Amino acid sequence: MEFSLLAAAALAVAAAWAGLRLEARLRPEIPHRRLWDVIVPSVVVGLVLGRLAAMLTGGLNPIAHPADILVIRAGVHTGAASTAALITALVAARRHLLPTLDGVAPAALAGLAFWHAGCLLRRACLGTATGLPWGMALPGSPVARHPVELYAALLIAVGAAALLFRRRRPSAPGVVAGIALAWASAARLVTEPIRPGIGAGPVWWYASATLIGVAAAALAASRRRSVPQP
Amino acid sequence: MLRRNAFAVVVTTLVIAGCAPVPSSGGPAPDLLDATPASVAEILATSDLPVVLNVWASWCSPCRSEAPLLRAAAGEWQGRVRFVAVAVRDERGAALAFIDEFGLEGLEHLFDRTGAVPSALGGGSGVPQTHFFAPGGDRVAVHFGVIDERTLALQVDDLLRRRG
Repeated sequence: MEFSLLAAAALAVAAAWAGLRLEARLRPEIPHRRLWDVIVPSVVVGLVLGRLAAMLTGGLNPIAHPADILVIRAGVHTGAASTAALITALVAARRHLLPTLDGVAPAALAGLAFWHAGCLLRRACLGTATGLPWGMALPGSPVARHPVELYAALLIAVGAAALLFRRRRPSAPGVVAGIALAWASAARLVTEPIRPGIGAGPVWWYASATLIGVAAAALAASRRRSVPQP
Repeated sequence: MLRRNAFAVVVTTLVIAGCAPVPSSGGPAPDLLDATPASVAEILATSDLPVVLNVWASWCSPCRSEAPLLRAAAGEWQGRVRFVAVAVRDERGAALAFIDEFGLEGLEHLFDRTGAVPSALGGGSGVPQTHFFAPGGDRVAVHFGVIDERTLALQVDDLLRRRG
């Protein structure tokens, strides 16, 4: 059992919960009551389908080996997981789609930031080699490396804080969610080159998600402007 | 309602996924040489390349999970790193079937029926376990349990950089 992975996940859930509580206090006009009903199934469906995608692309039949679905450490297909989580969130929040997504987005970013910061618990922060003074090394290794997961955590945390503590003027529904998607994806995109892996990595997924987030935010903002004000 | 929908999505996906063909390299069956602690020590000591030594068994469920990753890693660093897989406390036929199922022909395979090799390496009897050796046989790291892509890539990169 990978307890360090569970601890990092618990940290992320706690941060998302705190983000939701803060959001509810700062913006009582957003319907927060059922936000957990959006977050929880989205995360679960995302993880399961992401794991299934990783198993299939790796040549492992999930029907023949159902127990392996739970071995999350063996890999989750990031793109498939994110897409599945997003679609689940869209379905779960369909009645009040944009306000709900706007309410969830900052908390989701906070959870994501602390998931990355959880690398300190998992001892999995390091990226490619660097000569910069803050480089960190594997135990017993002379090679200093970028703490790439901490970079990602900081970037995403800045986005979460900016969205949580934004001014209290009303923004067009959907803008916050679009910005959050674009910000989280862009944070992963810019840190991907210093993230060690096998092959090219999911760069296309992050690039696409960044563009979709920017487009969604721009569309939401433009629709708001096109509505005549009373 | 939402939970029922989510459950239906997962079950449908599982059923579709289960019908998908599992890729196999179709390559020739590898030699499965018998290994002893002494023979493995000699392989490590005489290797000019860094060695990633994975200990596995066909009955080990987590080993199945990391097998695709090892196949990809052996392809990625072919010619720069040796990937040696030691099947322990297993049946030869089952081990060969596992290798064929996951297309692991790109790795060097050894067979250790008694499990003496991981014990001699200080890894005990658990599987899977992955050891990282510099050229000449100095072990620089060991990972117990399922290894993930990041850890594997990081340790291999470290091995290659130590080598200069």
